[in-house]
Amino acid sequence: MANDREVLKVVWEGKIPAKFVIDSNDNDEVYYLNLPRISYFALCTDKVKKHFQRHIEKEDDIWFSYMDVPLKFHIPIGVIYDLLVSDNSLPWQINVHFNKFPEDILFKFPNKDVIESHFLSCLKEADFLKHKGQVICQLQKKDHKQLFLGLQNDKFDQFWAVNRRLMETTEQENGFKNLPLRCYTDDGYSYLQKLITPLTEKGQKKTLKDLLVEFSTPAKKPVGAKTHGIEVPLETELQWLSETLSYPDNFLHLCLIYE
Amino acid sequence: MTDENQENSSLGVERLSIQPEKPAEIVKIDILLNAVGNSPIMKQRKWTVDWMKDISWVSKFIHKYLKLDSEDKLFLYINQTFAPSPDQILKNLYECYGSQNKLSLHYSISPAWG
Repeated sequence: MANDREVLKVVWEGKIPAKFVIDSNDNDEVYYLNLPRISYFALCTDKVKKHFQRHIEKEDDIWFSYMDVPLKFHIPIGVIYDLLVSDNSLPWQINVHFNKFPEDILFKFPNKDVIESHFLSCLKEADFLKHKGQVICQLQKKDHKQLFLGLQNDKFDQFWAVNRRLMETTEQENGFKNLPLRCYTDDGYSYLQKLITPLTEKGQKKTLKDLLVEFSTPAKKPVGAKTHGIEVPLETELQWLSETLSYPDNFLHLCLIYE
Repeated sequence: MTDENQENSSLGVERLSIQPEKPAEIVKIDILLNAVGNSPIMKQRKWTVDWMKDISWVSKFIHKYLKLDSEDKLFLYINQTFAPSPDQILKNLYECYGSQNKLSLHYSISPAWG
């Protein structure tokens, strides 16, 4: 378990250096920010907005794009990077926009309450899959708040003091009921979600290899999966993956790799 | 969107899993829309829809059906527990929380669960 804690810490501390460039002809001002992989763009808009404030002619909704693809506010930043930046180039050059908000692709997150309720909804869904929702409903409102504040303020201990309860399993359960996971296919932001148990019918622990088979189709066979910027070894057990490499929303976000 | 029952729906699902490379074949599922609390009730609860549609589409549909004002809020829930993200597709929700070609959703004009 001691080693696992180190893994949790490394996952928590993952950062992506980003260079924000304003989408305007008449200035070449840039703003650098070290983005936490586990956080959301919805939580870093204030800083960026503040920096570019004097270039804004009229107050409008801020949004970001990379190579003309709008960046979603409510998908973890690390997932978006792994999905969109195929050459792993750093710093990640992100364009900042203050007009023409693409409402057909992005949803507005006007304040932190909206992303907080999205985050809590993800936790509820994850716990529904893992423990039929029985753990999260035992938590109090202040615990929910602590989870979000832990994420927002980058407080590992604060977050994990509550989150470890969501990650617990009993001896006889031998794992979660189902594993909360989203597998991103190589088609923009689209992902697949299914009921995946941590054990095979014979009671053996499933590995990433087994998972890839479950997400295979005759036309498309994934050969690997990436999360937090690393390619996960195929023999990694799914239950361990879920407990250790899930994002703070308690979901595993896996970018499938095809041949 | 029609209210007729999907024929051979399980066959449709099976066919998709064998030949998913042909997106031309539209898979349809039934969604059951249940009002929560004092939200206005829809006369027709069951609708047969393309499972590639997302939650924001369902939300817009209910909005229109109930003739709500554009600023009126609408909250959608699965299993009376959590609110799926607006860009979540019905297929993913059906795979996890639906059965026998049906997916049940609750809607509310005020926040209901969390």
